[in-house]
Amino acid sequence: MSTTAQTRREWLLSDRPQSRLQAKLGRAYVTWRRFSGNGLALVGLGIIVALVLVAIFADLIAPYSPTIGDLKNARLLPPSATHWFGTDDLGRDIFSRIVHGSRLTLFVVILVAVIAAPIGLLVGTVAGYAGGWIDAVLMRVTDIFLAFPKLILALAFVAALGPGIENAVIAIAITSWPPYARIARAETLTVRNSDYIAAVRLMGASPMRIVLRHIMPLCLSSLIVRVTLDMAGIILTAAGLGFLGLGAQPPLPEWGAMIASGRRFILDQWWVAGMPGIAILVVSLGFNLLGDGLRDALDPRSGEQ
Amino acid sequence: MMMGKTHGRFRMALAGAAMSALIFAAAPAVAETPADTLVQAWAIDDIITMDPGEAFEISTGEITGNTYDMLVRLDINDTTNVVGGVAESWTLSDDGLTYTFKLKPDLKFASGNPITAEDVAWSFERAVKLNKSPAFILQQFGLTGDNVTEKAKATDPLTFVFTVDQAYAPSFVLNCLTATVAAVVDSKLVKEHVAAVTPSDEYMFDNDFGNDWLKTNYAGSGPFKLREWRANEVVVLERNDNYYGPKPALLRVIYRHVKESATQRLMLEKGDIDVARNLEPGDYEAVSQNADLATTSAPKGTVYYISLNQKNPTLAKPEVREAFKWLVDYDAIGSTLIKGIGEIHQNFLPKGVLGASEDNPYKLDVAKAKELLAKAGSPDGFNVTMDVRSSQPVTGIAESIQQTTGQAGIKIEIIPGDGKQTLTKYRARNHDIYIGQWGVDYWDPNSNAETFTSNPDNADDSPNKTLAWRNAWDVPELTAATKAALLERDNAKRADMYKELQKTFLETSPFVLIFQQTEVAGLRNTIKGYKLGPTFDTNFVGPVTK
Repeated sequence: MSTTAQTRREWLLSDRPQSRLQAKLGRAYVTWRRFSGNGLALVGLGIIVALVLVAIFADLIAPYSPTIGDLKNARLLPPSATHWFGTDDLGRDIFSRIVHGSRLTLFVVILVAVIAAPIGLLVGTVAGYAGGWIDAVLMRVTDIFLAFPKLILALAFVAALGPGIENAVIAIAITSWPPYARIARAETLTVRNSDYIAAVRLMGASPMRIVLRHIMPLCLSSLIVRVTLDMAGIILTAAGLGFLGLGAQPPLPEWGAMIASGRRFILDQWWVAGMPGIAILVVSLGFNLLGDGLRDALDPRSGEQ
Repeated sequence: MMMGKTHGRFRMALAGAAMSALIFAAAPAVAETPADTLVQAWAIDDIITMDPGEAFEISTGEITGNTYDMLVRLDINDTTNVVGGVAESWTLSDDGLTYTFKLKPDLKFASGNPITAEDVAWSFERAVKLNKSPAFILQQFGLTGDNVTEKAKATDPLTFVFTVDQAYAPSFVLNCLTATVAAVVDSKLVKEHVAAVTPSDEYMFDNDFGNDWLKTNYAGSGPFKLREWRANEVVVLERNDNYYGPKPALLRVIYRHVKESATQRLMLEKGDIDVARNLEPGDYEAVSQNADLATTSAPKGTVYYISLNQKNPTLAKPEVREAFKWLVDYDAIGSTLIKGIGEIHQNFLPKGVLGASEDNPYKLDVAKAKELLAKAGSPDGFNVTMDVRSSQPVTGIAESIQQTTGQAGIKIEIIPGDGKQTLTKYRARNHDIYIGQWGVDYWDPNSNAETFTSNPDNADDSPNKTLAWRNAWDVPELTAATKAALLERDNAKRADMYKELQKTFLETSPFVLIFQQTEVAGLRNTIKGYKLGPTFDTNFVGPVTK
């Protein structure tokens, strides 16, 4: 057994790969080794994996309904064996609400990433590769978006689109792509004049093909790091919108909205606002740790190939 | 070395902290309020004017009620009745149009000027001509800027004659005259401060009837006189020694502007104030458990309701309307969400008004509601939206109703918004379900009956945008009955007519009335005789002693 493992490891780490696949797997293995060497990054990964699992199995985990409570008999109960995190002002179990709220959090985070990252990547790489007036126009638009505070801009969009979780996602996505465009453009500028791009161009590749197939993949790793680090900010913005009553509609168990409704009881019943606050803290921390670990692992400038 | 230095700095900081602690500790020594002064903490930031002809705000209502006098006042012991203010007696002509008031003789304003019928007539004239927010209370009797000097006039120094345009119920007229807009103003004093105005299309008169001066000054005859008002800071009242009635025991009443409930509670506990007026349920609870403190409360004229827009064909079915009334958990809401700020009340007339019914027949009964829904043809329920202002207690109540209607299959989607958004939508009749409140404009059953049960014209461009209209509830019979009750001259009969109206309303209306608001106050237990009235202008501070 140990010899096969040894040989598999050697095969992965071979500096003369026999095929593209072997080279790719080798790179991935090195990256994983670097990532898993970082204890905190693993903690972050653990938190995120746990979040995903909780979201998937929310129906099985939550002991009570997240939206139906017992107003008369179970209002504002402190944490106990029957209600692990206590109950809120409508007699709903806070633990169940947080468990179901993880779906909303994950929904927001993934959707924002899926909408914002490609926009930023496209704008940035096109601007960087094309240069000239296209670059100037795209970057000035980016500058305008960057000039607004993110939450204020999101607030304005939600006010225009109407409250609701989908609109909150759109508003956050619209406000969070500019940094990605900046990063992608910077990365593009460093590679656009390199020899292999010139070689591809000499072979007759169209600008679109060059941007899509040869520049974008090079920008991806730094973008992934940035998106992961931004996830915490996205969660906080969504929570902020929920707190202001512009995110999720009641009775959806959105964590920010839960804090907002719990702040009336913060002196005497701390758990109503405290528990969702802790949930936001833990998940944001998880994304930050994961992002830090990914940056160390994916950054080509740190460490040998 | 480094460490030593840090420690030195730390020590200095400690000394500073100790010093400031000492200074703060010394403060409570002066905490106790003076023996001849009542100090109340209240959010008084709604005050924009002290002119009784213009003010229509809650805080000003209380100040005016204590500093001015009217022809007639609400009987504080039986609020369905009125008693004389500056009027000693009144008679009504046989056609029901002319009221003749005899004033009490030898009364004086705080300034020392005698109170005459001329003052009363001039007060009416200026209120009607100024045409500010509360002027409609007098204008609804047919008074206009052109005819007010004819319709409300003094025939001799102690006789005031008031002519109305229809034979209204006398109780309606008298109730309206208890409103602060009908307060008697010292005309001699105010006329010294009249400012000239250039007449325009909106305002056709060449002077401001002293409105500008009276905004911050005082010309009344109540048990207290207004000494000072500093916006968002303080209102100071002083005893009026010219007052004809029982003299207040206290020399001064001070209203301090304190907005936060928690701050008021702390000040009350420390003795910085005698009365806290804006206690939220949690703080009210804490105050009521404190041995040094006492609490008092009184139902006020504001009711909270949900209403179903009859433009929605499902909600327009009578069975569905009734089903909603069985789908509110009144008991639970009453014992939790509105505890201390309201009590369950299912009729549109607030308790204390003439003819108000205290019948609360509905309770949570999902089975009954399901039966009704099946009869209406939607046994599995339906989807509907509800516009909810993002503030308590309405969001909590809306979520509770969302849960209970869910048990009968009615899925309510809550659309949160700020007050302006939801109200605009409501006024345009674009809602499905609305949750809101309604406060009486004047202490007469007609104030609420007119808005809840009358809808003279259900067209989209109707000039009468009553609550019944806003929900497209077309009820010609009830509209006629409301009008009839307004003209009924026999008081007992009139009360019965409102009872009947409420009964029909309770059974058939698209409104689910939930609770009536309660005003609460926390006080030091040394305060005696402090009583909240049914309206804000009957929160009298005159009888208070300490």
